[in-house]
Amino acid sequence: MRQPPYHLRPNKAVDRLTLIEAIKYIINLGVSLSDYTYYTLGGPHLEDCRLIYEFYPEIKMVSVEEDEDIFKRQDFHLPCGTLDIRQGQFKSFLTEYDPKDEKSIFWLDYTRFEPGNFEDFMVLLGKAPPYSMIKVTMRAEPRDYFNKKWKVQEFQNRFGAYLPRPETRPPATGKDFAFLVQTMLRIASQKTLSSATPLTFQPISSFRYSDGTSMFSLTGIVRQRDQQDRVKEAFKRLQFSNLTWASPRLIDMPILSTKERLHLQRLLPCGHGAGAILRQSLGYLIDDDQESTEMKLQQYADFHRYYPYFMKATP
Amino acid sequence: MAETKSTKYEPVDASPVKSFFVHMLTRDIGLDEAILDLLDNCVDGILRSKQTDHEAKPYGGFRAEIKFDKDTFEISDNCGGIPWSLHDYAFKMGRPSDRPPDVLGSVGVYGIGMKRALFKLGMRSLISTQTADDAYEVDITREWINDEGQWRIPVHPARKSRTENGTTIVIGDLHDGVKKRFGEDRESFESDLETLVATHYAFIIDKGFEVRLNRRVIKPRPTKLVFDKKMRRGKRAGIQPFIFKTKTDGVEVFLAVGFTRPIPSQDEIEREQDEKKYSSLDAGWTVLCNDRAVLYCDRSELTGWGEAGIPRYHTQFIAISGIVEFKAEDPSKLPTTTTKRGIDASSTLYLQIKNKMREGMRIFTNYTNKWKARAEESRRQIEAAGPALSFHEIKAASERLEFNPTKQSVPKGDQFKPELPLPARPEPQTRRISFVKKVEEVKLVAEHLFEDPDVDPSVVGEKCFDLILSDAEAKR
Repeated sequence: MRQPPYHLRPNKAVDRLTLIEAIKYIINLGVSLSDYTYYTLGGPHLEDCRLIYEFYPEIKMVSVEEDEDIFKRQDFHLPCGTLDIRQGQFKSFLTEYDPKDEKSIFWLDYTRFEPGNFEDFMVLLGKAPPYSMIKVTMRAEPRDYFNKKWKVQEFQNRFGAYLPRPETRPPATGKDFAFLVQTMLRIASQKTLSSATPLTFQPISSFRYSDGTSMFSLTGIVRQRDQQDRVKEAFKRLQFSNLTWASPRLIDMPILSTKERLHLQRLLPCGHGAGAILRQSLGYLIDDDQESTEMKLQQYADFHRYYPYFMKATP
Repeated sequence: MAETKSTKYEPVDASPVKSFFVHMLTRDIGLDEAILDLLDNCVDGILRSKQTDHEAKPYGGFRAEIKFDKDTFEISDNCGGIPWSLHDYAFKMGRPSDRPPDVLGSVGVYGIGMKRALFKLGMRSLISTQTADDAYEVDITREWINDEGQWRIPVHPARKSRTENGTTIVIGDLHDGVKKRFGEDRESFESDLETLVATHYAFIIDKGFEVRLNRRVIKPRPTKLVFDKKMRRGKRAGIQPFIFKTKTDGVEVFLAVGFTRPIPSQDEIEREQDEKKYSSLDAGWTVLCNDRAVLYCDRSELTGWGEAGIPRYHTQFIAISGIVEFKAEDPSKLPTTTTKRGIDASSTLYLQIKNKMREGMRIFTNYTNKWKARAEESRRQIEAAGPALSFHEIKAASERLEFNPTKQSVPKGDQFKPELPLPARPEPQTRRISFVKKVEEVKLVAEHLFEDPDVDPSVVGEKCFDLILSDAEAKR
């Protein structure tokens, strides 16, 4: 399957790094990262595994890939010797998954918006031990349903089990669509870990972004019901945390040259009104008008620490 | 036998204890079903009141509103209230067997629904009701529930006057499990409850009743069947439902089964199997008793699937749906279970009607099997039939149909059996030729053609035909 090059997906890169950042806060729960295994649908380049290994070499890693050729590419790109790559269906893997008490970090990274995504999430929730972290990413594209009446019916039929209301229609904006998908995941989590069970799913952060296609990404942690305060305390200093199922935060990074970034870097962090401060420092607009330029630069100020440099290199 | 003692054997006390009602009976129903029981009470209020004359919307203007949070549950309606004359029935734990039904057309038989629902939710209930003649409040407290010696519930005159006659029930001191469902599981519980009301109350809402859940109006999700426009003008052929109607022992029955949508293509069947149940949600049988769905989209043997020659439900039958309505002034004649959310499968009436359900269903499983290889062609036929009709629209449209009396079925009734289009037989591309000749003659020709008298006679015959065919083609 074709995948867009990384330098054309800067927002995805930021989202990926927010997971790396969130993992750092797990140790505030009094657990050791060496007790964790990271499971991923890593894609051909295994970029997430490379980052996990770079930041947290003590975490064991497993990648599951169905496509034979992508699996071969993964083997080619293997970032380290501690990554166990496996070929097979993810659903079959989940069926076999038996962590016992071993904590897990999962990234269910889907390119499509399908009921199966929610099913996988529910299966996983039913098995993951406390303090396991789960990140779910999926397509949340209003264009898929725009002006297509029959698609709305199909949407309600296919996703009815997770919709807040039977007649919920696919929202027309990326913001509302992402919030709906978040609510659907919340409902899915309540159906699996109902209040009768000792565990629940606690959101940690949620983002929406578009690198050409609107995506939604939610990270959360499985916890004991009576551990709410402890978990919230552990993650309260995580930048852009979303501990209350609030609306997902937008990631919309501007395209800046390395020279511009180095120039702006000196001013960061710069607190409230960063967009205006950075625009004045640049002295020109980088988007259609002053308002959108400042919004983009505010995004840069917010996420610059997670924004990788894409450099031209000679192999 | 043990040594005779001087014990005096007196009659034993078999009177009930409250904990039986509070902790035992409540196990028979789910929390969502308990809320539906309370909604049933609202509808009973409408049945006691004067309904509107509007034939299609007899419940128009009546509404119920449900609100809940982690501390309180409230349901209020404008459905006429509970007359004081009924207080003995309304608040008594169970109905005396000799008492006739207080509400004609209700589904309640045992006089336990509302009380069981109150106890299911919490330990404190305040019922405020106002009718044209009365306005009073019934206060059930934890202390009253725990006092086994006290069976009389305090009643007060209503403290506030209402603008419309109706009833409000506020339940507090919620059970822990209920608190959690309303709090920690709120989103999923609310979603499930709304779906339950939208489906099980679809027919009542469609008739004008309004139900709000946490301030949002619930839209009905009725089953609709394709009813060919041509048929509505009296023609028999086309995509139309099978309909059977009868009246027996005080119960009116109306049954319709047909297609809700085009039959699925092979691709759709495969996808549906991958995604399991999603699109199948609307397939199967819905059974109504006095307007309330007691079974919704059932696809099991309970409604005839997989028995007596009917195939088990499979994704290829996703388009088939049926509705059976039972109406009776005396609810004890209806084939419902004690929870009112299920069918009494041993009911004689239901078993008789189930024969007709299977008979109707067979028409549509046969059609599906005949057309499944040409699903696209079938899709065009079904789409050309026009939009699907709701149950009451089908009943209205059926007035113009020619029904035939059934001779064999029990109970006797009238039925409309549609003539669904059949796929035209494809023109055969080949023909079989066979003939008989004397053995000696066959051997002679075989020797002539193959220099072997023992060649298979069919090969000899075929070769003869090929030679003449070749000659004929050359001269064409």
